[in-house]
Formats: sequence, structure tokens, C-alpha cells
Amino acid sequence: MKRIMTRSLIVWFVTFAFVAGIILLGVRVVLYHGDWVQQPYNGHIISNGGLARAGKITDRAGQQLAYSENDTRHYNSDLTTREALLHVVGDNNGYISTAIQSRYSNSLTGYNFVLGLGIPDSLRPNSDIKLTVDADASRAAFNALGSHKGACVVYNYKTGEVLCDTSAPSYDPEDPPEINENNESEYDGVYLDNVISSTFTPGSIFKIVTAAAAVENIPDIYEQTFTCDGYLDVEGNPITCEYAHGTQTFSDAFANSCNCAFGSIAMQVGADKMKETAERLGFNKNDLKMSDITIATSHYDATGAGDNYLAWSGIGQYQDLANPTLMAMICSAVANGGTATSPYIVDDDGKLLDKLGIKTNKSPDISMMSADTASRLRDLMRGSAEGYANNRGVSLAGLNFCAKTGTAEVGEDKDPTSWFVGFTDDPAHPYAFAAVVVEGGYGIDAAASVVSAAIGELVN
Amino acid sequence: MRRISLQVILDVSVLALRALLPIYALVIIYQCFASARRHRRPEKPLVTLEIKETGQKIPVLFWENSIGRSKGSDIRVSDISVSRDHCVLLRRKEGWFVSDIGSKFGTYVNGERAEGRAKVIIDDEITVGHTTFVLKRGEEYQERLRPSWFFSKASDKGSLKPYKLMILITFFHLFMAVEACFSNEVQDYVPLLIFGAMELLMWGFFFISSYALNRVNFELEALACFLSGMGVMLLVRQELRSAIVQMIAMAIGMIAFAIIVKFIEDPDRVNSWRLAIMIAAVVLLAINIVFGRVQNGAANWINIGGVSVQPSEFVKIAFIFVGAAALDKLQTKRNFIEFIIFSAICVGALALMGDFGTALIFFATFLLIALMRSGDIKTVILALVAAAFAVFIVLSIKPYVADRFSAWGHVWEHVQDSGGYQQVRVMTYMASGGLIGVGVGNGYLKYVFASESDLVFGLIGEEMGVIIAFAIAAAIIALAFYSRAITTRSRSSFYAISACCAAGLMVIQSALNIFGITDILPLTGVTLPFLSAGGSSMISCWGLLAFIKAADERTYAAKRRAPANALRKRGEAV
Repeated sequence: MKRIMTRSLIVWFVTFAFVAGIILLGVRVVLYHGDWVQQPYNGHIISNGGLARAGKITDRAGQQLAYSENDTRHYNSDLTTREALLHVVGDNNGYISTAIQSRYSNSLTGYNFVLGLGIPDSLRPNSDIKLTVDADASRAAFNALGSHKGACVVYNYKTGEVLCDTSAPSYDPEDPPEINENNESEYDGVYLDNVISSTFTPGSIFKIVTAAAAVENIPDIYEQTFTCDGYLDVEGNPITCEYAHGTQTFSDAFANSCNCAFGSIAMQVGADKMKETAERLGFNKNDLKMSDITIATSHYDATGAGDNYLAWSGIGQYQDLANPTLMAMICSAVANGGTATSPYIVDDDGKLLDKLGIKTNKSPDISMMSADTASRLRDLMRGSAEGYANNRGVSLAGLNFCAKTGTAEVGEDKDPTSWFVGFTDDPAHPYAFAAVVVEGGYGIDAAASVVSAAIGELVN
Repeated sequence: MRRISLQVILDVSVLALRALLPIYALVIIYQCFASARRHRRPEKPLVTLEIKETGQKIPVLFWENSIGRSKGSDIRVSDISVSRDHCVLLRRKEGWFVSDIGSKFGTYVNGERAEGRAKVIIDDEITVGHTTFVLKRGEEYQERLRPSWFFSKASDKGSLKPYKLMILITFFHLFMAVEACFSNEVQDYVPLLIFGAMELLMWGFFFISSYALNRVNFELEALACFLSGMGVMLLVRQELRSAIVQMIAMAIGMIAFAIIVKFIEDPDRVNSWRLAIMIAAVVLLAINIVFGRVQNGAANWINIGGVSVQPSEFVKIAFIFVGAAALDKLQTKRNFIEFIIFSAICVGALALMGDFGTALIFFATFLLIALMRSGDIKTVILALVAAAFAVFIVLSIKPYVADRFSAWGHVWEHVQDSGGYQQVRVMTYMASGGLIGVGVGNGYLKYVFASESDLVFGLIGEEMGVIIAFAIAAAIIALAFYSRAITTRSRSSFYAISACCAAGLMVIQSALNIFGITDILPLTGVTLPFLSAGGSSMISCWGLLAFIKAADERTYAAKRRAPANALRKRGEAV
């Protein structure tokens, strides 16, 4: 019997393995319960127990963006406002995973791990969420985007409050469309918030990054001159300008958005230094956040790609990809003497800390460049802005704005993507902005008019 | 305004009740095992062996004791003329016996060579090699023995009386029934009817067990009633018919439990039935393969007169029967080889049906039994190599089998397809339940396929809270420790092996179930003991519990006490 008793300890081993598994499961439950709950199929959230009785979402002025009444979820009364803020607010089905109704549904539905979602309605601690956005500015920007795919984000670079945030294409959350084979091209990418989750080829706006790398790495960059014949041949695949800019200084080349000059500057800086600056400015980073929502990773890397591609990467082509929010953050760093303000969109999530004025929803600010580099970039961007200050559609003239336009080639058969990024250097209106219009065409009209529509609304 | 405040008061009380249930469940499970640790006889030797030549006294602690030269012998004799495993000294109802297990020079009782089992009485002389033992009473040995860690000391205060434990459990089920009556979707009194019928059944079993069968302890049965009853109450709001079927299965399980406990009272009787049980099990599996119908990818069901039966569940009981044996039978080679062949047939048949989860349970249990019987690592390694080989062959002939487990580890990429559909919902709804649950009948997991059987752990987590779900896992863990602890007092190695392996089987099955549906292991579709809906599974769990019950020394104690009292009344010496 003694022998069998000793051998029976094997049951202990089996049991210990089981105990270990149970502990692992327990740890997972504790760590991930919040994510597990927030699933679009969760019956407690989508049916009578959830959003139908969730708290209100309002904009900075108190306009109701989403609210529940008689067990039904309703959205803003104005169709365009609903569409403009669909990606910020979300829909009933939770299809937009970065939207507030998806990300903050724990707060909205009153979920907590102790009580679960089975709290009787009379005791449900559902809380309202107040956003920083201005519904009217977002609506104006969405209107200006027209039928184009695109995005516009404007935020206060002193405080981090996101004021305008809109993404197209969109749909009415009050009456969501049946997306089928016939209309799926119209709704292509409709569930993606282009402000947060998309990246686009940056084109000329990337010259801000290249300029930063040049200022930091080439001591005599302001003494150099760049001669543009409208044509820069590097190993066969030529970079072109619309016309020959002639001989220019560094500042002129930036204002002219001279491709030939910036292609050669990128080669002068070198792929490693280019990458180092780009990464300090937030490229290749996957931990940037707007409130609790992770921003899509922007991409820059030309190491080992050869001079030709390095030149192309310096003017925002090659494999470069930029997220609109990151571009606005880079502009905020320029405006703020080198430090980018992290944007936040949730002003008050109803939790205690927020009520005490401690902003739990804002990430720490990010130091991107030296104050000297920032001031030089500001001058460059101011110079660039002066070139189109009088253009039609740009009503920012009074705000001393600094900006850069971009036109990114995305393929032979497609119109280029239009960009407009920058900031207003005005203490009363400290706005950093980025707008992107897919297939918006050449020139600054498309993207710049979206930004001016939004800022026009904010200033009034 | 007054109506609203009334609603708030009602809601607060419902919530308070729900918050108390997890604590209540923990108390019940604790009490079941607290009771199992008590009511033990003091640690004393059963008899004493006195070495004739030296007068040295050796305590005999077990009901079956090996005598031999090898290190692991219970009574070790370092004498070259004694075989490594020489003989077994064992106690049966009729008294003490000594049984030679193929020693070289034989075992002698009072000078006569013992053939088979030879009866020995106090003051008889047992001779092995050059050593002669004299059988003496247990009281002859005076030194204190070290008690087991699991059992409380004899002086500890008494535990909860069985009927009080049953009252606790009844109230727990009542709370569940009341909660189910006020569920969000349906409000009626059906749960109370089911509750009434079930408590009648449980209390009937309790009274029969205590008064007709004279069982002194009831904690294992109470635990099984608690868990089974919880399963039934969860089913009421899901599918009433299943709840009733489950209750009937519970009744059959209780009968099976009582019969098996009675049947294995004499471990030697089991041995003579061994072959019959083996053949019956093989025939059952053969019928299943021929007439089985495919359900959820596995052909492990047969239909008998409109009732679906899962034969493999009953084969589990037969498997334990065949695997375990008394100490003097354990040593024979034939016995072990028969068992290996039987195991191979069982695992093979299950794999053939496509029921890989159950096949895995059988295989793991086989390893447990093999290790406990022979302690032979070689056999285990051989079995593992053979199994790996078999898996390799299956995967190369039928590569699609692997597809069934392909979503393992990344189920969140398979939210809407069969690879991860069930697992992600289990996790989502478990988290939705929080610590205290959303209330019986208020869950959404119940709309997911197999939620009442394979996914029941998630259902408990959602409707009754994560604490109760984990408490159930803890109960199964405690059951395994208890089974191992009672082997020290088992009346035969048959009970020691069968109890440990029955508990081990339940732990393995629970692990495959709980970890399968939460993506820690691949999903194999096995049931959670006592809680999953399914008549066959319920009956087999009660059957397996009978082995653990039988291993507890106290189980058959009442029987022996009764005649002893009768003798005492007549004024005779005991």
C-alpha cells in the first residue's frame, strides 16, 4: 500500500497542473475582462441592457450627439452632424471600433467587473461623456469634404482639446445602410475613422520632416543653394517639379515645395538620420494616442533602399505613410517650441478623477525637436503659407497661419491625394490642423478649404 | 415617485442576494470538505506483527500490506531468502489473510505452506524465509503514529451534521429558483416546481442513504447534489425539457452510485466480474461504432427508444473497474496486460468515432492507472510514444482533423466562424457576468450552441458570477486532494487506485472543458462533471464518485459497527 500511496501523488501533479491553468484563466479574466465585454455581439450591450440605456454623449457646447430615450439610442437631430461625427461617436452595432461608443462603452453602459452588466436598471451607474469636439466645426469640415474620402482634425495645441474631427465616407447612425454588393464601393472603408485609423501617402507635407532633419544635421543648410531644372535624375527614376524653380535658398525651396531640392537634401541627410528624425517626430510609433484610442502607425524607413528611393522618400513618396493626427501633432510641436501636445477628445468621462479636474484621458506630451528647430520650421511654414495666403478658399489670413500643402501621387489612374497641415500662430486661436482629401486633385483647394471651413466655424 | 423608490428597494435586495450567493457557495463547498476531514478513527495500527526471534513490534497500518525484501514493501524483511515481493497480508470482512504472491520459497502459516489466501488469526505465526512473525492485536503497539495532514485530529470539534449541510444546499437552490422566477425575459413559477421536485429527490436520497443504507457520512453526496442541482436550476430557463431529463438522470445517477458502492464493497467480488465488465464495455463501444449517429462531428451517440445515450460515458466507469485491483492481484502480469489491451481498444474506438476529447481523457486516465499500478515509467513512456505515433498517423491520413483545432490560441480572429465562435462568447459573457453574475436566466450565452453542456462553465460565470465558477473549479480540485488523502486509509489498493483515478479523470475532464472553452487548450467538446447538461454524463459522474466514496474507510463502517453493538449487548467480548 505504501508504494501505491507514493505513486498516487501523481494525482497531485495532475491537480497542480489544473490549478495552474485555473490561475492563468483567473489572471486573464482580471486583465482582459474589459476587452472581452466590449464585443459588438455582446447581447448585454446591444440589446435592452446596454446602449439602449447608455449615457449621453455631448459636444463641448453641450449639444447632444448621442442619447438614449425609451430604450432606443438616438443621435443628433441634424443629419450632417450625425454623419460628420459618426466615427467619433459610433453607431449602435459597434462597427467603428475606435469610436467613443465602442471604446468607452464600459463607462456608458455602467460596466464594472464586480457587478458585471447585470445591474438592475434603477441602479445602473451610467454616466454621460462630454467630448471636446465642436459639432458645428466638424459639420462644416465634413460638408467641405463633399463626396471625397478624407479626414480633418483640428486641435488646440495649447491644451490638447480636439475641436474638429471628421472622417468621410460616412453614414447616418440613426438609419444605417444595408451595405451589399451593389453599394460597397460607395462605402469602401466606411467603418474606418480616417483621422485615427488610416494612413495616407504624405507627399509634400513630409518636407516638414525632411526640413527638420536638414536643420538638425546639415550645419550650412541655410548657406547652400539649390538649383532646380524641374528635373532631378537619380539612378534612372527622375524626380520632377511642375516647372523649373531655378536657383533657390533652403527657405525658398521649402516655400516653392521644390521636389528636386528636397530629394537632394534627403540624400545629403542620409537614410539613417532621416529615419532617426522621422521616428522622433512620431513615425513608426505604435503607442500614440488620442484619449484612450491608439493612432495608426505612420511609416517612414528608407534605410538600405538606395539613393533614388531615399530621394523619393524625402518628398513623401516611396513607402512613406502618414496619419492625419500625427501630422497635426508634428505641427503642434512646431507651434509649441518643440513639444507636441497629445490630443484628447474625451473631456469628461463621468469618472471621479475627471470630475476632480484630473485629465485621465490625455496622454503625456511628446518632445519632438529642439526649440531652435521648431522656430526654424515655423519660419519655413510661415513662408510657405504666405505663398497661398491669398488663394481662394483659404480664410486663415487673419490668424497668422503657418502651413504646408501636399499632393501625393498614389497611382497612374488616380487623382492625387491632397493634404493641408499646419497651425495658426495666434494666442487666441491656437489650432494645429491636418486635412487630407483622397483624390482631391492638385493644389491646395481641396484640403485647405476643409481646414478653413472648420477654423472659420471655430473662430466665429 | 413612490413606485420608483419601491423598484429601487427591490433591485437593491435582488443585488444584495446575488452578491451573497458566491459567499454562500464557498461556505457550502468548504463545509463539504470540512466534514470530510473529520469523524476519523484515531491513527492506530490495525494489528501488530511481532518478530518471534527479537520481539520487535511492527505496526500494520493498512488493510493490505505487502511483505517482502524490496524497499517499497510495507513490511520490509532484509533477508536473502525472502523474495522482493513475497506475500500480502490483507484484511477482509471475514478477518485477516495472508496471500503468497509467487515467492520463491513460499509463505508458511503455523508451519504449513500457504496456498492462495490463508486465514490467520491472532497469535498465528507467519513465516517468510528465516523470519517468523506473530500476529498480535493493534493495541500491542504503543508508540504514537504521525497523522495525515489532510485529516483533522480526532479531538477537533465536530463538523456540520449532514442534514444541516443539506438544508444549506436546499436554500442555495431555492435562491437560484427565486432568481429564475424573476428573470428578465420570462416570469413564472416553473423554476419553483422544478426546485421542489429536485429537493424531494435529494432529500429522498439523503434519507435512504442515512436510514436504509446506514451510511454515516454524506459529504460527497452533498457536494454532488449541490453541483448537479445547480446545473438543473441553470437549465430551467434554458430548456425546461433538458432540466427534467437532467433531474431524471440525477436520480438514475444516485441509484447507480448506491449500487456501485454496494457492489464494490467486497474488492474480491470485483475481480471475479472483471472480465464480464470488460467484455460488456467493448460490446457497448462496438454497438456505438455500428449504430452511432454523428452529432457535432463525433459519432458518439446512440438512440435507444427515443433516448440519446452516450455509451462512452458508461465505459468510463468500466475503465476504472478494470484498471484497479486488490494488492495481491495487482502483481500478476496477466491482469496488467489485459488492462493495456482494453485501454487501447477504448481509446481506439473513441478516436474512430471522432470523439477526441473523450479519447484523450481515457488515455490520460490510462497513464494514471498504469503509473499507480506498476510505478513503471517505461510503460508510461512506451504508451506516450505509441500515442504520439497514433496521432501522427491520424494527422497524415486525415489532415482535416487538425483543422478542428486550428483556431486555438487566436480565437479572436475567428469571432464569426466555427473556429472561435463559442470560445469568444464564453469569454465575453463570463466577463459580462462580473464577479456576481447577471442572475439566473438573464444570460445571453444560453443562445449559443452547446451553452448548457460544453460551455456551462461560461454560463455559470455569466449568470452566477466568476466567483462561483471558480469555486466549482476549486471543489473539483479539493475532490482530487481528498481522494488522494483517503487512500492512506483505503481498505484495499483497489479503492486507492480507483478513487485516485476517478478523481484524476474528473480533473482532466474539467481541465479539457474549462480550458477548452476559454482558449487555454484546444476546444475538444467534453462536459464539466455534474454541471453540464447530458444524462449519460450525469450518471457517469455519480458512478465515478462511487469509487471515491468507497475508498473512504468510513463508508462501510456502519455495517461493522452494527453487529459489534449487537455483540456488546449480549455482553460478549469484542
